[in-house]
Amino acid sequence: MNRATAITLYAATLLIAFFGMSAVHAGSDVTALLVAADRYRGGQGNLQVETEVQVRNRDGSPDKERRYTVFAQAQRKSLVLMRSPAEQGQKVLMLGDDFWLLLPGSQRPLRITASQKLLGDASTGDIATLSWADDYNGKLVGEERCGAQTCLHLSLQAASKGVSYQRIELWLGKAHGEPIAADLYVHSDKLAKQAQFVYANADAPSTVTEMVLHDRLSHHKETRLRYVSRRAKSVPEAWLNPMFLARNPALE
Amino acid sequence: MARRSILARRGVAVGLVLALAGQFAMAQTRVDGDAARVELRLRYDLSQANPGGPIADANARAPGIAAHASSHAVAEAELRGTWRAPSVAAGRPAVTAAAVIDAERSTLSHSHVTRADARLIEGFAAGDFGHWQASAGRKVVAWDIGYGFRPNDVVQQEVRRTLLALPQQGRPLLEAERYGAQTATALVWVNPHHANAASDAQRGAAESAVAARAYARDGAADWHFFGRWGRHTRASVGTALAWVVSDELELHASTRLLQRRDGWQIDPQAMLAPRAIQPWRQATLGRAAQALVGASWTGEQQVSLITEWWYDGTALANREWDDWRSRNVALAAFGSQGGLPQNLITATATATATAANLAWQATPFAAGNLRRNNVLVRLAWQPARWVVSLEALVAPSDRGQVVTAAGQWQGETLRINAAWRSYGGPADALFAQLPQRRAAVLAATWSF
Repeated sequence: MNRATAITLYAATLLIAFFGMSAVHAGSDVTALLVAADRYRGGQGNLQVETEVQVRNRDGSPDKERRYTVFAQAQRKSLVLMRSPAEQGQKVLMLGDDFWLLLPGSQRPLRITASQKLLGDASTGDIATLSWADDYNGKLVGEERCGAQTCLHLSLQAASKGVSYQRIELWLGKAHGEPIAADLYVHSDKLAKQAQFVYANADAPSTVTEMVLHDRLSHHKETRLRYVSRRAKSVPEAWLNPMFLARNPALE
Repeated sequence: MARRSILARRGVAVGLVLALAGQFAMAQTRVDGDAARVELRLRYDLSQANPGGPIADANARAPGIAAHASSHAVAEAELRGTWRAPSVAAGRPAVTAAAVIDAERSTLSHSHVTRADARLIEGFAAGDFGHWQASAGRKVVAWDIGYGFRPNDVVQQEVRRTLLALPQQGRPLLEAERYGAQTATALVWVNPHHANAASDAQRGAAESAVAARAYARDGAADWHFFGRWGRHTRASVGTALAWVVSDELELHASTRLLQRRDGWQIDPQAMLAPRAIQPWRQATLGRAAQALVGASWTGEQQVSLITEWWYDGTALANREWDDWRSRNVALAAFGSQGGLPQNLITATATATATAANLAWQATPFAAGNLRRNNVLVRLAWQPARWVVSLEALVAPSDRGQVVTAAGQWQGETLRINAAWRSYGGPADALFAQLPQRRAAVLAATWSF
């Protein structure tokens, strides 16, 4: 074996070891990326998030405005209270892959399917789901240009059966790991929505202030989901009991 | 006239007080989920009388004896508020009140009746006592899980399948509840003020009763267990299951066994001849069973389908309806038989008596279910602001059917509802003999 051959073999061994290691750690790397990305949306703690949703028609004319109070809790538990006059009194409880709905005036919590969760004006999943790391498995597709910056393109597949979107193509800023854009696919693998994430300071992103959703499935409307406020809030255990939906807890 | 004026004045006065209270509630409790709400509603109901059936036969013999209201125009305001004790504790005592003020103009034949009213539909105090939460007052407590029929809705006993969902009036009750992570328990004493009343003064939902519900969540399934002890209907037990099988499909079932029940019973002496007094009355009857099985499917295209079959053993049996039909035929034939009085006065009295007896034959229509076996299919489409639905209820035993088409449009504060319903089937089917042939409603609701 001459020296050149030895160097070649050594280099090849290093490369194989490197890519092998990369393959082994790719899953955990993606998970770390998702956990970091979730922090920009506040997805890792117990939170009370006040959210405003503005929907515009294809021609840009205003369609509707909605307000929500979301109690996003650990272990994929969320309680969504509808606050707009059109929906006031309506509540949705999401405990992992299980969902319940309380309609105004009914006093009767109803068990609903994941598909029923998507009915109505706004997808509750868009409003209440602040975490990808818990719900999706992913792989790194590669680096791509996102306008002026370089992004990491991740392809996510649902790990939980109750999520709103079966597949998500996600682009994270390479420098900070913040979510930049996402393509959201429903269970039939149709592109349902395209999302863009907005920050108060794009050069030094800290938290997502707004998510802009473009409907690609039917009405081609634009939904701007604005996070008005976030604060730490752990709700009592009883609030996350489906039968408690019929009660009207004091929020302050 | 004077009474109508007093009612109107009372309605206006109560309305002013409640409007002020509503404003106060909105100012004080804006932080709560659904603590303050004002709804204004305009509603127009139309009804087409059935040309067949006992009521039509009664009116043919004595016009106007069972006048049919052809339309109602209703304007109403619903005010709802929750007041909480000034404390930072999450479970601080609260008082919830909801009231409806309404004015209604009804058209009966060619006359009009105007009415104004104000009523408290809910008013209760609630507070925490350790792990238990207690409520006292008039409150809606709604149980069970079916769509078309809820046998275990033993407290509120809500009327199902109405053309338009309207606010319900709660029942007077005392309630204690306890919530865990996966379980919940509720104990209710409903209508405690009727505890010593006679049975005839507390039929159906007015009966004084204690009831309990235990709830347990088991993954994709919700289990409910019910028990009730009524003052005269004694014990009943029930269970219900809602199970989400997949992202699209949910299955549900309810059963209930009753030791006794309230139901319609005809005077055994009535037979086939006219009676001088109403022969139908509510009575305490023997044991019965109720059951429901259903499925709900929802697709990606905002389309949902509900199918349900239920059995209601508290409804009159087919044999009893056969007797009812025989009596209708006998009453219709009465007066045209030979040997009956020939003079005008006696003939008129006979016609009136026959008409009254035929009108009374509509009495057992006032029941949650007419036939014991029922099948319901409901298809709904919910694109963006719209909900459009088509529903069919069929009684297989006589092939009677009720078809309902409904639509809803939801704006920012305005909601428009329209619904149309037709009762039909073969001529001898019960649904084809109801006082109404068709009904429709148009409503506009403003929410604030």
